[in-house]
Amino acid sequence: METQDLTLDELRPRLVRAMLPHVAFDGWTPNAVAAGALDAGIDPDIAAITFESPAAMVEAYIAMADADMLAALETANIGALKVRERITLALRTRLDQAAPHREAVRRALAVLALPANLPLAAKTLWHTADTMWRAAGDTATDFNHYTKRMTLGAVYSACLLYWLDDDSEDGAATHAFIDRRIDNVMRFEKFKGQFKGRGEGGPSLARFLGRLRYPAV
Amino acid sequence: MAATETALNHLPGDRRDSVASMLRVDLAGEFGASRIYAGQLAVLGNRHPAAAEIARMQQQEQRHLDWFDAELVKRRVRPTALQPFWNVAGFALGAATALLGPRAAMACTVAVETEIDRHYQEQRDALAGSEPELEATIAEFQAEEVEHRDTALAHGAESTPGYPLLSAIIRAGCRTAIAAARRV
Repeated sequence: METQDLTLDELRPRLVRAMLPHVAFDGWTPNAVAAGALDAGIDPDIAAITFESPAAMVEAYIAMADADMLAALETANIGALKVRERITLALRTRLDQAAPHREAVRRALAVLALPANLPLAAKTLWHTADTMWRAAGDTATDFNHYTKRMTLGAVYSACLLYWLDDDSEDGAATHAFIDRRIDNVMRFEKFKGQFKGRGEGGPSLARFLGRLRYPAV
Repeated sequence: MAATETALNHLPGDRRDSVASMLRVDLAGEFGASRIYAGQLAVLGNRHPAAAEIARMQQQEQRHLDWFDAELVKRRVRPTALQPFWNVAGFALGAATALLGPRAAMACTVAVETEIDRHYQEQRDALAGSEPELEATIAEFQAEEVEHRDTALAHGAESTPGYPLLSAIIRAGCRTAIAAARRV
């Protein structure tokens, strides 16, 4: 079988994808791994050693979801969109892609909510927000790099929790929820923007001291 | 001296800095340097004889900064999280040394550029041909940093009162900053 030649890093996304339909019933467990391996034609013995723990399965799942989202956003023509529209599209794409296996996501969140997995939860959330911003063409290399990801991480978490219990047609309610959250962020950014640049043009302490120090020039 | 220090810090088989960490620390360094010059210019104004020289050096630093900015985005490296701190600390260092006097400002430049030169040399040694393009750019920037140092020396940096102390403090600060930016 060709899958025997794959490294574990290459195997993980394949196996985790095959596991998803089973996770709804078996959870993130070795049973789901075995069932997924059977479906995907992966050697069960190799599959059994691919993941050390449920947390590792969830980590692989989120990495796979990030990669899928990135691939979809790269083919979408986002160049013409405004930044807020790009981020909205990223959030929609992410949740729409996860729609077929919502129960797997719910169980993944249960794993991530365990206290021992909190560092992993933070890391994966950060990576997802980072992927969304990179896909949206973010080029910030100052502290905005961090605040952007923190804000988006918070928005995404809220949207994800809303989406889990969204029974509307084609996720219409979730889409509306995303739009409202983005509006919140934009309103806050506008509010912040009022203060930005206020200090400029005013007296400069350094220049004042400079005048005292170098009066002649 | 520098060579033996490097040899002691890196035993065979030690993990070297990743390219990501190198780019992060370089961007932080160039950002800090441009803030130092901005602080000096804020105090000196634009009519002081030293100001033109400093403004020229700042322009070159800005070019370095832009290059590292683009490179970080291209390689998907996260920037340093201490950026707000470098912003304030760099400006304060530049303003404080400029208030001490034009020669003290030049002494600050000498100290900073000496450390940056040493740091770039270490990076070139560590890269050792694995990233020819990056290495060539670092070599180019390094040459300009050395030129800044020589310019500052020519402006009488060493004749400022308390030069050894001032220089030692600033160089120690630079080394701490480099170590911090590697990780954070």
